[in-house]
Amino acid sequence: MSSDLWQVTWFTTWVAVTGTLVILPPGLALAWLLARRQWPGKSLVETLVALPLVIPPVATGLILLHLFGRRGLLGHWLEHTLGIEVVFTWKAVVIATAVMSFPLLVRTARVAFENVSPRVEHVARTLGAGPWRVFWTITLPLARPGVIAGAVLAFARALGEFGATVMVAGFIPGKTETLSLSIYHSVELGRDGEAAAFLAVSVALAFVAVWCSERLLRRTAA
Amino acid sequence: MNLRRPATQCLLLLALAATGSAVAAELNVFAAASLSDALQVLAATYQKATGDTVHLNLAASSTLARQIKAGAPADLFFSADEAKMDDLARAGLIVPATRRSLLGNTLVIVVATDSALALKSAADLTGPLVRRVAIAEPATVPAGIYARDYLQKRGWWTAVLAKAVSTENVRGALAAVESGNADAGIVYKTDALISRTVRVAYEIPAADGPRISYPVALVKDARNPAGAARFLTLLTSAEGRAVFASYGFVPQP
Amino acid sequence: MSLEIARLRLPLASFALELDARLDAPVTGLFGASGAGKTSLLETVAGLRRPADGRISLDGTVLTDSAARIFRPPERRGVGFVPQDSALFTHLDVRANLCYSQRMRHPATPPGISYEHVCDVLNLGSLVARRIGSLSGGERQRVAFGRALLAAPRLLLLDEPLASLDRELKDQILPYLKLIRDEFKIPMLLVSHSADEMVALCDDVLVLERGRCVRRGPPAGLFVVSPRPHHELAKPDDPRPLVSGSD
Repeated sequence: MSSDLWQVTWFTTWVAVTGTLVILPPGLALAWLLARRQWPGKSLVETLVALPLVIPPVATGLILLHLFGRRGLLGHWLEHTLGIEVVFTWKAVVIATAVMSFPLLVRTARVAFENVSPRVEHVARTLGAGPWRVFWTITLPLARPGVIAGAVLAFARALGEFGATVMVAGFIPGKTETLSLSIYHSVELGRDGEAAAFLAVSVALAFVAVWCSERLLRRTAA
Repeated sequence: MNLRRPATQCLLLLALAATGSAVAAELNVFAAASLSDALQVLAATYQKATGDTVHLNLAASSTLARQIKAGAPADLFFSADEAKMDDLARAGLIVPATRRSLLGNTLVIVVATDSALALKSAADLTGPLVRRVAIAEPATVPAGIYARDYLQKRGWWTAVLAKAVSTENVRGALAAVESGNADAGIVYKTDALISRTVRVAYEIPAADGPRISYPVALVKDARNPAGAARFLTLLTSAEGRAVFASYGFVPQP
Repeated sequence: MSLEIARLRLPLASFALELDARLDAPVTGLFGASGAGKTSLLETVAGLRRPADGRISLDGTVLTDSAARIFRPPERRGVGFVPQDSALFTHLDVRANLCYSQRMRHPATPPGISYEHVCDVLNLGSLVARRIGSLSGGERQRVAFGRALLAAPRLLLLDEPLASLDRELKDQILPYLKLIRDEFKIPMLLVSHSADEMVALCDDVLVLERGRCVRRGPPAGLFVVSPRPHHELAKPDDPRPLVSGSD
């Protein structure tokens, strides 16, 4: 079963984009909370968020499989109440990449928010801006380079995600086949030429992503 | 000396064990995933008899063949199809004189024990009630190749492929059905027998189905060729055959 | 204007700030050494800090009341705040900084203070299109004042407004503070450790020491004239004696 290189590339890219967009709101919210607030159990939250970074990706994938499988806590509810199937579909790929990228976004954005002086936020409050408005008009713009860097890092991670994806989405050509899975599959089949092609595209995509982010960062710093 | 008599074989085994090195050695056996349970029993027997340690590397035969080609340290290769063994033979990586086709198997369609599906034949896999079918990777893994060949012959392959979830080895397909993430799966009868959460919905008749054959051979640059030969003797002995038969494997003549 | 601070208690690093006072002068000064709690007091009045105890009300409106669990958020207090380092929004230009408070105003409400008037009084006309990074220290302070004024506050809090400026700039900016007092008639609460500023600007001064008000009154009754800081950079042909090596 040979796969169309461009179809796979397109799928990988839009899954990574979707995954990154999905984690942006909760990721930025959590990053802000971690940067600005204290609450009992905060260290627990910090540790949980960091977990996908350090436990083996296949372990994360296995956890997701148990959670979103048809008999899993969330999977069962999703299927029987909303009619949504997750495992072995593109949705599982998005979830896997989102979970694996989440810690990178949160950690980078948190540092960006911490670097915004609270004093500046305070002054904005006294000028009549509520907390929400302060976030949108002051905090986020001032933290933008770091936030962008976090988003691009998350995107690049999503592009290259393999271990969790293979567990929870399997390898279904045309439906859940990402570049990393294709490389692995081609090697399994002994098709070295095909593997090299997928590899080249993967590297090129990652290169473009990082290059764009560097340019963006330079422009915002100017 | 009549090698078919159990007594003789046991005697031979003990003799070989006695002539083996006094230091406990390690044996690396690369075997198809579907042989897991039977081999674990036989490995334990072997370890007790000889004091050697047996390391079982259980995976899809395609993965194992690739590893051996890449130089992984295997003493014995036990494949789920002849094609992988042929591949290694062509590459000069096995000892041809030791090659034996030991076992056969049967393909079955399994569903979860609590599934409401009633399948009367493999054709039912193409129906709307079956949304996902788990099979081992049909391009490389023997179980998947056997399934594909059978379905192609009957003209149901395209329909099943559209809803197929391919797994890295046959036990992965079994797990997918057990967890409920696939409605049905095509696995070996021996896999279905060891699972308590799936049942056989349909057994592909021997006459219709593909000819499943499990060849075994010594690997050429084995680090423990004596141990491999001893283990092979155990596999082919009456005791070995009995163990395989108890797990549902079909003995080859 | 009348700012009532009743039984205020604010725990700080090594002591607690306690204050009970009613402030109604046009310009009130909070005088004391660093660490006396002056900035914390300003932040509490602005709503950027919560006291452990006490009640603060401005012109009859309760801003903070710990017993009654009332706390008006900073954006609804009408209290302006200019921190020591001006804290301008570096991602916006000067005009956007100045007009920041206008975004929140309901379009139907007339602006309390005119943009042109502020730019005129504080000499901001030439700066409006500039980026914050290109401004000098004195320019930044003026923009910070203008930004706070344009929110039409009922009370303006200034934290060491001249501390980060050198002597020449201080002399330049001080008149602007007087103009704010005289032209816009906005009551001010000014924190400083500089006696000169107290004398120059304030009608009423509270002297804070380790979190307590130890003295209070008009500057005339509190400060004496002392020789100015006794070193200055000598100009060419300066007739005065230079510093000798034995000083």
